[in-house]
Amino acid sequence: MKHATLGEWVLYGAVCAYLLALYALPSDVWLGFTINALIVTVLSIAWNITGGYGGQMSFGHAALFGTGAFVTAILQVRLGVNPWLAAPLAIAAAALVAGVIGALSFRYGLKGSYFALVTLAFAEVLRILASSFSITGGGQGILVPYKAGVENLQFASRVSTYTLALALVALGMLVTAWMQRSRFGAYLIAIRENEEAAKALGIDTFRTKVLAMVLSGAIAGTAGVAYLQTFLFVDSQIAYGASMSVEALLGPMIGGSGTLWGPLVGTLALHLLGESAKELVSGAPGLNLVLYGVVLLVILRYLPDGLVGLARRVRLPRRAPAASMKEAR
Amino acid sequence: MTSRDENWTTSAISRRNLLKAGAASTAVGLIGAPTVLRAQTPTVKIGILEPLTGALSYNGTQARAGAQFAIDAINAAGGIKSMGGAKLEPVVADAQSRPEVAAAEVDKLAQAGVSVFIGCQASALGLASSQAAARYNLAQVFDVGTAEQVVERGLKNVFRFTPGVNKCTSTALENLKTLNANAGNPVKTAAIVHEDGPFGSGLAKLLNERLPGMGIQVVETISHPTPQRDFTNIALRVKAAKPDMIIPSNYINEYTLFAMALRQQRVETKAIYSILGGGASNIKFVREQNDAAQYVMDCNHWYDPRKPESQALAKKAAEAKLDMTYDIMVAYACIQLIADSLERAKSGDREKMIEALASSTYSGSIMPYGPTKFVNGNNEGAQPVNTQIRGDKIELVFPKEYATAEAVFPMPPRG
Repeated sequence: MKHATLGEWVLYGAVCAYLLALYALPSDVWLGFTINALIVTVLSIAWNITGGYGGQMSFGHAALFGTGAFVTAILQVRLGVNPWLAAPLAIAAAALVAGVIGALSFRYGLKGSYFALVTLAFAEVLRILASSFSITGGGQGILVPYKAGVENLQFASRVSTYTLALALVALGMLVTAWMQRSRFGAYLIAIRENEEAAKALGIDTFRTKVLAMVLSGAIAGTAGVAYLQTFLFVDSQIAYGASMSVEALLGPMIGGSGTLWGPLVGTLALHLLGESAKELVSGAPGLNLVLYGVVLLVILRYLPDGLVGLARRVRLPRRAPAASMKEAR
Repeated sequence: MTSRDENWTTSAISRRNLLKAGAASTAVGLIGAPTVLRAQTPTVKIGILEPLTGALSYNGTQARAGAQFAIDAINAAGGIKSMGGAKLEPVVADAQSRPEVAAAEVDKLAQAGVSVFIGCQASALGLASSQAAARYNLAQVFDVGTAEQVVERGLKNVFRFTPGVNKCTSTALENLKTLNANAGNPVKTAAIVHEDGPFGSGLAKLLNERLPGMGIQVVETISHPTPQRDFTNIALRVKAAKPDMIIPSNYINEYTLFAMALRQQRVETKAIYSILGGGASNIKFVREQNDAAQYVMDCNHWYDPRKPESQALAKKAAEAKLDMTYDIMVAYACIQLIADSLERAKSGDREKMIEALASSTYSGSIMPYGPTKFVNGNNEGAQPVNTQIRGDKIELVFPKEYATAEAVFPMPPRG
């Protein structure tokens, strides 16, 4: 296992310091902003498993996020199920949807842009279905009544909601760390690097990819549940809209896909960038999005391995090279 | 500000110091100066939370302009007199047409110290923002938020000044019934084309329940997302269903494109009757698609054009080269309601604002409303009116006491 470089220590230290500083200086604005970023981070962690480690670039993770949000909302509002019970059922439903999408796509050998398009299509189909049937509110969405209390998985205090979101991110990262070190993670990375070679080595690539989708679906479903319990409202556009799918992949892309910290670093950086752009050009709405887009393009162009990749290149200068160069001569 | 700068510059120590110095001097400028100013002229901060970017940016920017016109007018007239001539100070926030952003922006408004805020042009945004505002006991006056869920949550901080979808639909259907009966009941079938968000879907559901009772059979109900750019297939489906009347319910861009597609596909019908149609009461639609817009009727939010203040607002909007849309009107009226509540509350305190709004009987706004009466946050004094596009004008045709023209129903063949 490689040791973290100086740059990585600084980057991860800064992220942790920021996240912990919110407890010392609880500001509702920063808490609200970070809660949003952390919920998206959970979704990004889900995307990172299939897209980052497995190389299966999904463009429709909203399908899994939305299923988590809608199933928990339907169970709570329509059937009166307690959210503590509804949440695991919703997560299981999202994992199931992911498994079905994965099994159908991988069975027919879809990869690359074809897989991306199919996942996008699944999300779009679910969006249309959700806006057509009355069980999902038929486009009106579902509103969860506000009843603050731990028993309802709703918190009046922002700090509590923040703690929950932070715990979910930590859990997602622990799962990723476990996966990285496991045989399953090694199989997944092998598939990303060369699927044919992985097959030749005896890896059941179909099973591994479907399992990765199921794991990713469960985590994305968790993000959906967290979104619903925070904002208490979901409709087809929020749940299955393309913007959620884009948010899911932007974080790891910017932070560093296929890395443990990439989704968190990338999502926080993106949200901070968006917020800073907004503050900078507050007089001209829309200009912030232009600025955001330009900076995003610059990052994608010059940092192909993301912010974590950049941090990895920042090391303490070594003294040894001068001597070893002489010896080499 | 400082905490963000620290995050951005963790690796550059000298730059961080420089930024700190900059931030400190900015803070002195931002915080110090207004303290001196406040001592001279008291101000009350009013939040304006609108979708200034994203799919609903047109409505949002129009509403922001309307609110600003009202604030300027109130300040020019001496501000809030019971508070020593306190001036209204707008604090603008962009909901980006996304519910989670709308909720997050409420935190900023609360931190900025607003006493009350208006917003957010769409029910999904307003549901999220008012839920977030409830944590701060901060009142939200809904300019547009027609979904009934808005006022069904028992939130004490919700004040929907304009009518909801139920009121709009029942008024629109009563008016339609009268129009149809007066013309000898030429309309017997209808097609509904609606956006698939909370507003359009709620309306379609209500219409499907109520139109058959009026002797009008619904032959087609078609939903579409926002944004949607190609309406050819929808127009062709409508053409195949041969309805006597088409009821579109969507936002301005989709409305315009749909009306255009109906003309291109030569869909003939006896009436295009909208309920809360985004384009049917929009002069932009009238100007840009004049042929497609003729005789289109709408039941929507609209001001009383006879009031001097309405005429002054229309003049201001024309000077600012803005189209006079209902977004401007309702945002203007919401600020008027807030100003009246501030006069009575004699304070910008949030709790007192909620009490003042809840007990409001205000009837002086530019809208053709009776005295304000909030019941569970729903203004029962609010009512929509019927408009019809005639030539290059939007005429008010119902109710009679506000009418500027007689309704033409059914519409003559458009060829």
